[in-house]
Amino acid sequence: MTNFSKLLLSSAIVIAMSSQAIAQTIFINDATVVTNNGDRLEKTDILIRGDRIVNIGKNIVAPDNAKVIEGAGKWVTPGLFGALTNLGMVEIGAEDTTNDTSAKDAVTSVSDLAVDGFNPKSPIIGNTRVSGVTHVAITGRPSHNIFAGTGFVANMSGHLESVEQDESFIYVQLGSWGGKLAGGSRSAAMSQLRAALTDAAAYPARYKSPTDGDALPRRDAASLARAARGLMPVVIGADRASDLLNIIKLKQEFGLDVIIAGAAEGWMVADALAAADMKVIIDPMANLPGSFDAVGSRLDNAKLLADAGVDMALMSFSESTSHNVRVLSQHAGVSVANGLDWDQAFAAISSVPAGWFNLPSGVLKRGIDDATIVVWDGDPLQVTSAPTFIMINGVEQSNQSRQRDLRDRYNPTRDETRAHKYR
Amino acid sequence: MHELKRMALISAFALALAGCGENGDKTKVDGEGSGNDAAFASTYQAFPSETTLITNAHIILGNGEAIESGSILVTDGRITAVSADAIESEGANVIDARGRYVTPGIIDIHSHLGDYASPGVKAHNDGNEITSPVTAEVYAEHGVWPQDPGFDEALAGGVTTLHILPGSANLFGGRGVTLRNVPSRTVQGMKFPDAPYTLKMACGENPKRVYGEKGGPGSRMGNLAGYRKNWIKAQGYKKKLDAGEDVARDLQLETLAGVLSGDILVQMHCYRADEMVQLLDVAKEFGYKITTFHHAIEAYKIGDILAETDTCAAMWADWYGFKMEAYDTIQENVPFVHAQGACAMIHSDSDMAVQRLNQEVAKTWANGNRAGLDISEAEAWKWLTLNPAKGLGIDKETGSIEEGKRADLVLWSENPFSTYALPDQVFIDGALMYDRAAGLKPKSDFRLGHPGVGSEG
Repeated sequence: MTNFSKLLLSSAIVIAMSSQAIAQTIFINDATVVTNNGDRLEKTDILIRGDRIVNIGKNIVAPDNAKVIEGAGKWVTPGLFGALTNLGMVEIGAEDTTNDTSAKDAVTSVSDLAVDGFNPKSPIIGNTRVSGVTHVAITGRPSHNIFAGTGFVANMSGHLESVEQDESFIYVQLGSWGGKLAGGSRSAAMSQLRAALTDAAAYPARYKSPTDGDALPRRDAASLARAARGLMPVVIGADRASDLLNIIKLKQEFGLDVIIAGAAEGWMVADALAAADMKVIIDPMANLPGSFDAVGSRLDNAKLLADAGVDMALMSFSESTSHNVRVLSQHAGVSVANGLDWDQAFAAISSVPAGWFNLPSGVLKRGIDDATIVVWDGDPLQVTSAPTFIMINGVEQSNQSRQRDLRDRYNPTRDETRAHKYR
Repeated sequence: MHELKRMALISAFALALAGCGENGDKTKVDGEGSGNDAAFASTYQAFPSETTLITNAHIILGNGEAIESGSILVTDGRITAVSADAIESEGANVIDARGRYVTPGIIDIHSHLGDYASPGVKAHNDGNEITSPVTAEVYAEHGVWPQDPGFDEALAGGVTTLHILPGSANLFGGRGVTLRNVPSRTVQGMKFPDAPYTLKMACGENPKRVYGEKGGPGSRMGNLAGYRKNWIKAQGYKKKLDAGEDVARDLQLETLAGVLSGDILVQMHCYRADEMVQLLDVAKEFGYKITTFHHAIEAYKIGDILAETDTCAAMWADWYGFKMEAYDTIQENVPFVHAQGACAMIHSDSDMAVQRLNQEVAKTWANGNRAGLDISEAEAWKWLTLNPAKGLGIDKETGSIEEGKRADLVLWSENPFSTYALPDQVFIDGALMYDRAAGLKPKSDFRLGHPGVGSEG
């Protein structure tokens, strides 16, 4: 994290805290608690004071001033983490003026900061939050070369200060799409990526002369410098098994911190991925040969990768990376139906990706600050379940959203009494 | 693939690639409307089946009712008995479904499988004739590649009947076709016998966006004028046909005249509430019926009007926001439409969602009840089977577990409203087409020699 982003983060917390004039005490009793930090706990109580998880255990006595949430039949979990999204960068996909996810006519690329296009006030954020997603990593899309720019991490509170890290990772596209972006082939894409990493690893020395680097203009090389030195993750989109092996080589050659996004054919090289300490984000529903990059797609990819010990997060790539990221829990549930262990599946949409970005939000344990919890009315991986209470960084969140406002306005079980109802 | 397509496909973020495109103009057919027209007649034959008795099953009948523990007898491909009591049948293959659920086979009323086949290469973009705003003359079945691996995966999700539509670029997109989800070398071998033809129409943003700089329509006004001008032409054509006059055969007008005579069912892509009501007025003006509004993002705002006009709405559980007219959906759209007395149903428009339509219904059903409704699982299952069967004019044949109907059945490992439920077995016309434990599943020719599902044939 840059000093600047640390500053931003601390100021965000200060503001978030200050918006909550009096520190609340929350007591949840007799719930099923998923800590992501050991076994699932049954009939367990949680006490939260202010933004701190004060206690988790049995038979805790509720303080007099506590707001009590009856937890019987409910589940308490850390918030869900969307490992790779465009949330808040696009309001309406087809309307250019509301869509900051790509910039095909730009001259810059790596140095394009996704956070500059983020609108935390988008109603899409609220629609997402009420489904239990509390934090996400956000990036633009590649448009004129293999680099989509610099991604960031935000929470889903919808506050203007909800950015938690303003520069968190670089997104690079490989595979057939990367090849097209690079001029027509995988070979060109790999060559450009190697050249760019070499430029950036030598930044600023290589940029003393007016001739600059081999692949990147000065500004982009500066933005890639930390990632090229393994100090910031590089998220690389690719699916084909042979591409994944190329990425392993690249990781080793440059000493990168790589997260592969896609990895539809990851199961074919699962042992190699594990041996290389590779992080991967996969869609556990991806089972169609949707492209020649992914002809080997299969429903048990998640299980096979987990069995090999690969560090894995799950995402909803086949459904949505923006408006419908809320189906994350459904995707994790489907991975369970197809063989993945429940706790691994849940960690893969919470603590695993949160940990990659050093966020504490993925784990519940005593003494943790910035408490981020979701109370569900049932097993959170069941599509029929939903959150009843959400806290992000110690602040209770609204259960309303634009969609729920519309729901309430047109609910057939309610009499609409507004004077100017649309008739 | 979802309309306008899901933003992130192929690799992590592959771009949206507009799925349903747009398109061009002309025509229609003989007014007969049935899938058994002389040209391209159905050659479907049920796969071999045996007399089968399913016992001890929790049966969701698909018509709103359920039997907590009952039996189903299948004879010669048809359902011959359903009962909470024991059914005797000598020599039947008995399946003990204790602890498991049986439902009618799922019907997806909005699919582009075969027309936008996997792998999604350019050569497989056969779902939309984007050359003119009026292409009533094209038939979706002529773009269907029966080897689309998506059919096999949809079967594994319990889908036994699919309605394949042209895309939504055009005011009049062309004819849709209803298919049995069986492996076949030809699309004719999949065509649902005697199912009516349908006509895909589209309102709103797509036609005006696609043709705005190509001669129009360039606005919703132009869209409406386009429908009306062509219905006027169709009226004239039909008048001549009805009078027995010699008319030069016109494929476009043939399809439109088939709608006016009630033989071809209109499937209307439409998002906004106000626009759907305008289209109902067009239908009234020209004396035809809109069977089903597809996507119907704002159907919940006009459930009462849909009920009054006996118009169905086919909807997503939660897909939205990819264009302005898709901004206002709610996660309770399907149950809210249902609760207002209209015919509601789920649809996929996606080669992914089609594999888990039971979960899409479970989601929206749970949200509806959370909002104060009290809809049973058995009632909600109509959204997957009987209501789409009505929308396609095949409800006498399939869509519910009732004596005399085709034995299109799914045996689920547990309650299909659970995310963890999987189809154990899927029957089409009584024939076992999918068996998870036994590894019985159709495999497209395309799959051979590729990694993933093996090359053993």
